[in-house]
Amino acid sequence: MKKKISILPVFLFLSILSVFFYLLLIERNPSEIPSQLINKEIPNFKTNYLLSEKEFISTKVFKKEVMLINFFATWCKPCRDEHDFIKKLAYNKKIKIVGINYKDSSKKTINWLKELGNPYNAVIEDKKGKIAIDLGVYGIPETFIVDANGIIIYRHVGPINNKIYKKIVLITNNLK
Amino acid sequence: MEKTKKIKVGLFHFLIFLILFFNNQSVGVEPNEVLKNNKLEKVAREISKNIRCMVCQNQSIDDSNAPLAKDLRILIREKLMEGKNPDQIYKFLTDRYGDFILLKPAFKLNTLALWLSPFLFFIIGIFIIFKQNLMAKKKN
Repeated sequence: MKKKISILPVFLFLSILSVFFYLLLIERNPSEIPSQLINKEIPNFKTNYLLSEKEFISTKVFKKEVMLINFFATWCKPCRDEHDFIKKLAYNKKIKIVGINYKDSSKKTINWLKELGNPYNAVIEDKKGKIAIDLGVYGIPETFIVDANGIIIYRHVGPINNKIYKKIVLITNNLK
Repeated sequence: MEKTKKIKVGLFHFLIFLILFFNNQSVGVEPNEVLKNNKLEKVAREISKNIRCMVCQNQSIDDSNAPLAKDLRILIREKLMEGKNPDQIYKFLTDRYGDFILLKPAFKLNTLALWLSPFLFFIIGIFIIFKQNLMAKKKN
């Protein structure tokens, strides 16, 4: 009788320990917040283009083909780091990308794109960060995949690295 | 002589402690954000105390001085000025950022365990104490 009681706490302790070990071993980032917008339609918004006087109306651009949305700014170092991957996605994989310039100066952005190259099909401005809030953005760079029906399929918070690049290519290939 | 000095130093330290203790309510709200309408401003403060700053993740947007927190504070005030009620504003924010943006988790089916497990463990605890008492009595 006495022995039975002393085994139970040890068993409980070990099972809790194994849960913790499991959580340590699987790949997960606890500070990453699951997106609320996955499988939902992209919100409608209007803004202006960076490089022209025209008005950007989201309903006229999305819902035609698979597209990427990439939030970036010149003041954001990781955005510079991921820029090569954005170029690869645009030039090698022929994916259309809408770049949303987040809370930035137009002049600086134009120079930044001249220096690093402009892989975006459209660069639009989000001076006050309102579009970002509409998409639940909390830390740029952030990248979204929108399918041909205007539904958000995937979201990545943080710079695109080799692994995320492959993931984006895979998802967009499956959508085509 | 020594004793009174010690008491004085002790009192001085206690005073510093009190000042620091009651002075720790950091506020991120900037003066130019404040609404002229006092009633609405109060409501806005109340809402922003319940909204998590997504950048810092353990502060409310009322406390935080992160740029996104400021944007959300202004957004809440704009919505209030438009005549939106707090429930509509909470819905607007959770639609975009999910339940995580609420500092206090909502009482929902998937948070049931979170809310009810303390009571469950409390009952289990009482049960164990009761049982052990009974066993001890039997031995005696």
